[in-house]
Amino acid sequence: MLLGQTIICGLLLGGMYALIAIGMTLIMGVMKIINLAHGALVMVGMYVTYVCSKNYGIDPYIGMFIAMPVLFLLGCLIQKYMINRLVEVDSILPENQVLLTVGIMLVLTEAARLMFKSDYRSVTTSYSSDTVFLGAMSISVPLLIGFFIAMVFTLLLHLFLTKTDIGKSIRATSQDRDAAVYMGINSSKITMITFGIGAALAAAGGSLLLPLFYLFPDVGHLFTAKSFIITILGGMGSTMGAAVGGLILGLSESLGATYINMGYKDVVGLVIFILVLLFLPGGFRSLVKR
Amino acid sequence: MKKFRWQIIAVLLVVALVGLLAGGCGGGSSSGGKDTVKVGIILPLTGSEAMFGEMEKNSFELAYEELKAAGKTTVGGKEIKLMYEDDQGKQDVAKSATEKLVNQDKVNMLSGGYSSACTNVIAGSAQTLNTPFLVVTGSSDDITKKGWQYVFRGSAAPASKYTISFWDMLEKVVKPQSVAIIYENTDFGTSGAKGFREECNKRGIKIAFDQAYEHGAIDFKPMLANMRSTNPDMIFATSYVMDASMIVKQMKELDFNTKLFVGNGAGYTMPEFYENAGAATDYVASTALWVPNVTWPGAADYFNKYKQKYGKEPDYHGAQAYATMYIIADALGRAKDMTNTGIQQALKQTDMMTIMGPIKFEDWDGYTNQDRPNTYVVQWQKGKLEVIWPEDVKSASYVYPAPKWSER
Repeated sequence: MLLGQTIICGLLLGGMYALIAIGMTLIMGVMKIINLAHGALVMVGMYVTYVCSKNYGIDPYIGMFIAMPVLFLLGCLIQKYMINRLVEVDSILPENQVLLTVGIMLVLTEAARLMFKSDYRSVTTSYSSDTVFLGAMSISVPLLIGFFIAMVFTLLLHLFLTKTDIGKSIRATSQDRDAAVYMGINSSKITMITFGIGAALAAAGGSLLLPLFYLFPDVGHLFTAKSFIITILGGMGSTMGAAVGGLILGLSESLGATYINMGYKDVVGLVIFILVLLFLPGGFRSLVKR
Repeated sequence: MKKFRWQIIAVLLVVALVGLLAGGCGGGSSSGGKDTVKVGIILPLTGSEAMFGEMEKNSFELAYEELKAAGKTTVGGKEIKLMYEDDQGKQDVAKSATEKLVNQDKVNMLSGGYSSACTNVIAGSAQTLNTPFLVVTGSSDDITKKGWQYVFRGSAAPASKYTISFWDMLEKVVKPQSVAIIYENTDFGTSGAKGFREECNKRGIKIAFDQAYEHGAIDFKPMLANMRSTNPDMIFATSYVMDASMIVKQMKELDFNTKLFVGNGAGYTMPEFYENAGAATDYVASTALWVPNVTWPGAADYFNKYKQKYGKEPDYHGAQAYATMYIIADALGRAKDMTNTGIQQALKQTDMMTIMGPIKFEDWDGYTNQDRPNTYVVQWQKGKLEVIWPEDVKSASYVYPAPKWSER
């Protein structure tokens, strides 16, 4: 029973981690940089949903569909007017574009603090603390809904990337940018759209967590750290890798919390992170390829 | 040349922004001069503890304005000036902030310190730099246990002493056979848990479960499910506010019943705890250092004034800062001269009444310059925080054992 409870909690939470991390891995794949502002984008998405809920009484799950377009637009603008501008300058090494994302993270965080203060905020819905019991195991309803929506989004994204024209262009750009440009793909437009989608997915993940968790301007660091581990775990740039990586991180954290000690929960994730780097540098993606 | 122009605009924008920010935060850090007495205050103004930093800064300002109106902010013809620094809740930043205040700004004394980890660092540096430091909140035991002559703690109790009246109540009412201890894995959490654990061992109470957790977790259920299987009579938890509400909410979700859930102050007494966890807070008890309806003079007054001015309810953290400002003004007013030893001696001779109760810096029980704390036990009853122990100051009777979730 204890094992069942642990596995269910871990998987459900892992599904949400996965959704957030997929946004990061997508950007990673196309841009070849780690977007350290990713957690801050999650935070902005959460605030949009929060404001919708607090001021206009919109349910977080519907507010999510407002937060996603807003963040898509924000992501596009960041890419077009900030990151792409750096890409154009030859003297700036691509690695240093990461520094720009740190700057963006700081600006977003402090802007949120300016508008909302540092207070902890949360959205309480009628179903926030609803649970269903499976035998003696309790499953939180918002966590369950969040997990399913996250999985649906992951599937949709997968279809989008494999079936549509833009999706194929995104994959082409991430495989070989120069070759993609020679084939007539407008790479700056593609990077812009990718960043937008990544940001929208971050917003979705944040909104799904809102009924369960809480919100403050610095909440993003938590998500940046988790997404980073998952991105490495799944193989940088791999969507399915990130989905599996998210589930594995959620599960191992949960198992670690139950059977080792909850104080070492984050250590479990980091140990896996180091082991993957040492013995499986390509992440889970390289397992599939072999 | 289009690009070149862009760069100029960008640079100008950045300069304007930096100027704005500096103007906004510094609040006149320019003047200086020799006719001021500078008090450096280090608080987490950004980062995940910023909410408390803000509350404490606001309370310092509130107290300062009152003192100013009473003419007590000028000592010996010099005006007391508060200089804030942000420690971001990080130890390395706290250390550099301390050194900056002492070496560059030449402050006469230091105050502040929110998290125990940062307070410890500030206290260590202050002692090495021979600068008096009056702690506001940092409550880890060892801060005043190192014999540091320049470190004073008045408004904050050592974490292991939060529980004095609580033990009194345990002995007379609860009499638990087995307890579970959970705490966040920081200085504050481990220190609070350690005090309670030792006391349990001394009294022969069985500790059925004892575990730390990582601050900021989303899912506490693995730990809670584990704890449920040991079936403790009582749970003792040391947490900050949002972890506290996550824990009680998830206990409700798990239908985990216990006769008494006791929080070790901090998160469990804050308005945000109820706002976030709602009905799950019912019958949760907590140790407390201060509540607005406590009988010390000025306490309710401070609460109302703060609420009116900042539109939010303060909790004991704000009260600590408010009381600290009064202690500082009192000590500086009595100091023979504004040297470090002069202020240190004035602090040492402090004997005054504040909204946190009487303050006196004494050496006792291994502590140095530590005030003897007054503690209470409070309990959430239908969204209101009631004092339930000691019985002579109670505002409501205790509810024990707490009813089961299904029977509420």
